Amino acid sequence: MRSPFHSEQEAFRFLLLLILGLLPIVLAAALGPTWLALVVLAVILGVLALRVAQLRMRKVRGLALPVKMAPPHMGSAAERRVLIVANDTLGEEALLSEVERLACVPDTRLLLLVPALISPAARLTGAIDGLLDQARARLKTALDRAAHGLVVAGEISEADPLEAIEDTFATFAPDEVIVSTRSERAASGLEPRLAGLVRERFAVPVRHLVFDPGSAVQEPDRDTEARYRHEFGDAAARKFGLKALAGAGILAAVLMSMVALVQSSERDEARAASQAAEQAAWLPPVAKLVALKVIAASKRGPEGEKHDAFTTTEFAVRAGQPQQLRIDNTDSVPHSITAPAAGVNIVVMPGTHTYTLLVKQPGTFLWFCTFVCDEWAMQHPGYMSGYINVS
Amino acid sequence: MLIEHPDEAAGLAIASGLRFAGYAVAVCPGPLGHGQCPLTGPAGCAPAHDADLVVCSLGYERVPAREVLRELRTRYPDTPLMVEVPSDIDADLRELLDGCHQLPASATPEQIVAAVQSLSGRAVEEDHAGA
Repeated sequence: MRSPFHSEQEAFRFLLLLILGLLPIVLAAALGPTWLALVVLAVILGVLALRVAQLRMRKVRGLALPVKMAPPHMGSAAERRVLIVANDTLGEEALLSEVERLACVPDTRLLLLVPALISPAARLTGAIDGLLDQARARLKTALDRAAHGLVVAGEISEADPLEAIEDTFATFAPDEVIVSTRSERAASGLEPRLAGLVRERFAVPVRHLVFDPGSAVQEPDRDTEARYRHEFGDAAARKFGLKALAGAGILAAVLMSMVALVQSSERDEARAASQAAEQAAWLPPVAKLVALKVIAASKRGPEGEKHDAFTTTEFAVRAGQPQQLRIDNTDSVPHSITAPAAGVNIVVMPGTHTYTLLVKQPGTFLWFCTFVCDEWAMQHPGYMSGYINVS
Repeated sequence: MLIEHPDEAAGLAIASGLRFAGYAVAVCPGPLGHGQCPLTGPAGCAPAHDADLVVCSLGYERVPAREVLRELRTRYPDTPLMVEVPSDIDADLRELLDGCHQLPASATPEQIVAAVQSLSGRAVEEDHAGA
């Protein structure tokens, strides 16, 4: 697999940019609302995508490099190395004759490079094997026809044709390149502008052989090469532009959906909070502290006798909100406020103490004293029993 | 080796000779080939920076070519320059060429390769002597 970086400096610069890019996102997430972090992320992604698209567009159109390069010659001083790049034209009689002729020239080594032209769609659909088989069959035909010992070799490449040629420069170091195409690009064929791109990039002579059905092989002049370059560069740029536009649209849609989602959940939270506040405003007011007493034989019953009693037996509280009770138990024994259904059991010790009454769910709950005292009063609300109203 | 030559075929011929002599090459048409030369901009020229030797055959009667030569000498003072020079040169160019290895204009690729090899040999001998 190819490394996307050409040098350590490039990798280091990428790391630095990554950190610089993440910094504003982290800051926005830490200091601002979530949607702001998403917007910052969107802006950074947009800038990044724009730069990548710009670089890719330059590559798609052809780099217009001012400097051609080539590695040192390989092999003996007399040896001449020729790289022939072809795909669908490899079966052409004129090309095979040229391969055969070159193979017969003393001290000439030939390498046939067949880019299999595997598109991303073919990779996704698993059509690679078919394309590779086609390329192998073409190469075999050419090798069968022209092979003379070790002077002719062949290679199939899955990479982009220009990258495959670049790789071959590193391993084979050709002294001349022959690029064979048709004047119009076929589905399984090389682009006619490939020769121009190779000529622009590498400091070796490049020949372009163009094959068209029913006509003899041609070597296009400078103007025709420029036209190929222009037409196919524009077509590739348009195709890439459409893909980039579609990608940008999808990215924008995803980011906008995320921002909308975050904003909507924030709105929901705010609405729930305001509804809770409204509901709280409608509820009856609750005293912060309720003061009461427990007094033995203090309250007269319907039969005329005096019974033990709490001075307050009904408590209004809010669910989940603690209510302070200041109880002065004047009796010499403890009593309690016990409501099993509400999860309440307050043991009221003799003397004055402050207790917390907390009920989590709304409703009306009966409470009573569980300490044995006045049996009648324990069973009658308003005496040693009563209700907790939870709103 | 960086070869600065405005003519593509002549540049490739020199490059071929140097490649067969064992050098990796880069060929640049100079400032007239592709508009703005990166050497005269802030970024500089990576091939010139990486080169062990620059062969200049840009024709120095033109101002942009002299600019390139001046930039090469200023930015990369440690990189040797081999310059093809015309027979009659003015004082300004003479000053610019001071310290460069000079070749007569229209030198053949073989002459250039031989001069580069001789210069490289001398550099290797100097390195050995220094060690």
